[in-house]
Amino acid sequence: MVRPDSPHNYPGTLGNRPVAVSFHAAAHYVSLRLLEGYLPNEKIQLVSFGSPRRRFEAMLNGEADACVVMEPWISLGEKIGCKSLAEGHYLGAENASDDMDAETFAAINRAVSRAIDLFNADKRKHLHYMINAPDFAPVAAQYGGISPEDFHLPRLRYTKDTYYPPEIVEDTYNWMVRWGLLSASACTADLVQNRQAAPAPAD
Amino acid sequence: MKKVVSEISGIVFSIPWLIAKDYGLFEEEGIDMQFVPAQGDRENRVTHNPDDVNPILGHVPYEQNMVSIYRA
Repeated sequence: MVRPDSPHNYPGTLGNRPVAVSFHAAAHYVSLRLLEGYLPNEKIQLVSFGSPRRRFEAMLNGEADACVVMEPWISLGEKIGCKSLAEGHYLGAENASDDMDAETFAAINRAVSRAIDLFNADKRKHLHYMINAPDFAPVAAQYGGISPEDFHLPRLRYTKDTYYPPEIVEDTYNWMVRWGLLSASACTADLVQNRQAAPAPAD
Repeated sequence: MKKVVSEISGIVFSIPWLIAKDYGLFEEEGIDMQFVPAQGDRENRVTHNPDDVNPILGHVPYEQNMVSIYRA
């Protein structure tokens, strides 16, 4: 995302320009995945600013040419005229400790799955959780506030827990190793545990 | 009720969990779900070097065994 008056209108002009991310977080990885399609690696200039608020403000005050943020910061930016140059999505993951038993994990996931049904049935009804988030609401207020009508609902994609296909794990592993974000000595089998059975093959 | 302590971090990750708590869906599953906020000590230091940033980020409660689950 870039400022309303930014000369940038697509990612290809961001070469050697600072892009605000948070290292080792989604903003870091998604930005690489998005920018590598437009720029040679050596021209991608990521700068870690930390929190979403800090990244958003760095973009607005000119410390960075662009920032990588998630909702509700995207909707706030769009409301004040900022331009989205690219959007990417990624898989979220539940990370449970070794001592969590399978029955408890399954019970949690059933509750969360029902909550996802509630959210997806009426997304705007539940956007108050985002709008009133303590780290977001004060900033939004500075820009006139934000309402559920300001959100692009198809962007909000909550899905139920699902099997993590080994092919996707492997592709992600190889991508992270290529970018030096993961040691090649790490083993995917040590990092990912599928607690759901693989889907039955189609007839 | 089985007590489970979960980390709550970015709101975009947390909405289903907050709904499940507010609508009593965890309780219906026999789970007494407690939330602990991720520690907001994610480094806001400006740096070009990924090695300057601890990849644990704000997930300190998980690393310190204060919570048993988090999402990212």
